[in-house]
Amino acid sequence: MTTLAWRNLGRHTRRSVVTAGAVGIVVYLSLLYFGLGGAAVNSLYQRLTDTSGHVQVRQEGWRDATRFDATLLKDTEALRETVSGASAQHMERPVVVGVLNAPALLSGAERSRGVSLTGQDWPEVMVDRRLEGGTLSGEFLSGRGGIVLGAGLAEALDVAIGDDVWAYAPGGSGFGAGVFTLVGTVDLPDQATELATAWVGLDDLQEMVAPDAVQRLEIHGVNLTRLDKDVVSDALAAELQGTLENLQVATWRVLNPSTVRLLSTIDPMLFAVSVLFFVLAGLLVLNTVYLSVMERIHEFGVIHALGAGDRKVLGMVALESMFLAGLGTAVGSAAGLATVAGLSDGFRIPSLESYYASFGLTPVWYPSLEPHQVAFAVGFAFLTAILAALWPAWVASRLEPIEAMRFHV
Amino acid sequence: MTLFSVRNVRKTYRVGTVETHALRGVNLEVSRGEFTAIAGPSGSGKSTLLHLMGVLDRPSDGAVVLAGERIDRLPRAAAARLRLARLGFVFQAYNLIPVMTALENAAFVLELQGVPRREREARAREALGLLGMDGLEGRMPNQLSGGQQQRVAVARAIASGPDIVLADEPTANLDSATGQALIDLMRRLNEEQGVTFVFSTHDPRLLSHVRRTVRLEDGRVVDDEHADAGQGDA
Repeated sequence: MTTLAWRNLGRHTRRSVVTAGAVGIVVYLSLLYFGLGGAAVNSLYQRLTDTSGHVQVRQEGWRDATRFDATLLKDTEALRETVSGASAQHMERPVVVGVLNAPALLSGAERSRGVSLTGQDWPEVMVDRRLEGGTLSGEFLSGRGGIVLGAGLAEALDVAIGDDVWAYAPGGSGFGAGVFTLVGTVDLPDQATELATAWVGLDDLQEMVAPDAVQRLEIHGVNLTRLDKDVVSDALAAELQGTLENLQVATWRVLNPSTVRLLSTIDPMLFAVSVLFFVLAGLLVLNTVYLSVMERIHEFGVIHALGAGDRKVLGMVALESMFLAGLGTAVGSAAGLATVAGLSDGFRIPSLESYYASFGLTPVWYPSLEPHQVAFAVGFAFLTAILAALWPAWVASRLEPIEAMRFHV
Repeated sequence: MTLFSVRNVRKTYRVGTVETHALRGVNLEVSRGEFTAIAGPSGSGKSTLLHLMGVLDRPSDGAVVLAGERIDRLPRAAAARLRLARLGFVFQAYNLIPVMTALENAAFVLELQGVPRREREARAREALGLLGMDGLEGRMPNQLSGGQQQRVAVARAIASGPDIVLADEPTANLDSATGQALIDLMRRLNEEQGVTFVFSTHDPRLLSHVRRTVRLEDGRVVDDEHADAGQGDA
């Protein structure tokens, strides 16, 4: 019956090809969809971790601190060494960055604005990541005394490259004020981020508000660009927390709970849409199998008359449907996996980059597939085939031999 | 030894208020090894009788007994199992499966029985050989003549070694010479292999080679003639 089920596909080759093709297209689109969904997740993940680091080390109780100095990590040289050493055990290219934020009043010649001034010691690779999707005019910070502003903020302050920018940040243990030279402006896709971007060197801000102190150490796994490959953040955080008992160590997940919740909804949404695709393909399979049964009523009558049981006939029709689905799934899976694999090293669509950025996504996307997504696409294709074949198979199995043998299309 | 017993069997078809009495109290006994024709004009009830014997239909009244076991009231699944295990069928329209070769068609009942591939192919090949189909095993039905297709159908019916082969007008779609040749082949299988055949026909020219002729008219047995005895029972 297996051979017969297989050969029955060849009775109407075009119809079988169209139906198998439809299943294949749905499987392909599902895998591509999951892959691009994975890319979006990876993009969000990269943005998050570029901003916050994969792991952060902070002063214990920093969230509830009411005084600025209660949030500070002081004399961080030894701490940095410990953190760097542990990071190197878990990550391929860890970068440890010290960051200090202080509320400040920035002022140009005539205008002023309140901002959160960021002092950092980013290496070049982190600067490139921060500037991804944006355009730098002038140059980035190199040496002391410079400031980089978002283009919108610079415009609001009515300052141009080369102008002086005064910063006033009282309340700390530093000088509380300073004057910087605007060395660069950054045009970012997101307006709100642009208006809030004010970067100075860590040394400069420490001198202003908190000598030799940072608010946090950020650990960035530079090579970790995919969420599904991030199996190290939790382990690193756990190890560091064990070592640094008086400090608070948190992964990017803990630091961004609402975004993590959003990420967790993407998979179910992808599945839901994929199920819809499969339902549509299932209707086509049902139509094909039912037509095939109707055209062979006479033959089914003969098969019953010769002694085939109802279950055998039902099984044969179901098998035909599975073969259809199997062919389509094989081709669709191969094409889908190949497409996602081919794009997995990263792709960009320049015309859509500003659109991505408005959602907080990176310009380069890295599609990825999880095993359970592939299993879902393949498994659901076969499930669809079985469900679609149930009714025609039942019709064929319940035919009365005599009446069926009298039937002619 | 009686293989098949048909006891006072009636079959009535109802379409709306119209009743058609296809069989009106038929009694028939068939012994193992017989080569029996059921003859009669169209509408005499020949096919209906064969359908009842083949457990493809149920009588309105009466009983059908196979080897001492009543088979006319079997549930659907049991009837299918009985047909598969003990009965062989040859139909008027050959009814070969068009996507299977002659060998595969001949082996089809064996496949339904779950016989392993090698064994069923060997037995199917042997059956085809008995019917003079050597060398044609790989042909598809549309590459065979009507007579050849019907021989494949007979091979399918006998390959599984059934108790009885029921053939409903097996020569109706064949020309007279081919039809005669088929009957002769079946006769030889009966004599040499001991296959029990009961077949229906409305062609009197085919009756000269059968040992027993049961004549039906209007759903009744009007004659039951054994060729050896020369005289039959009505």
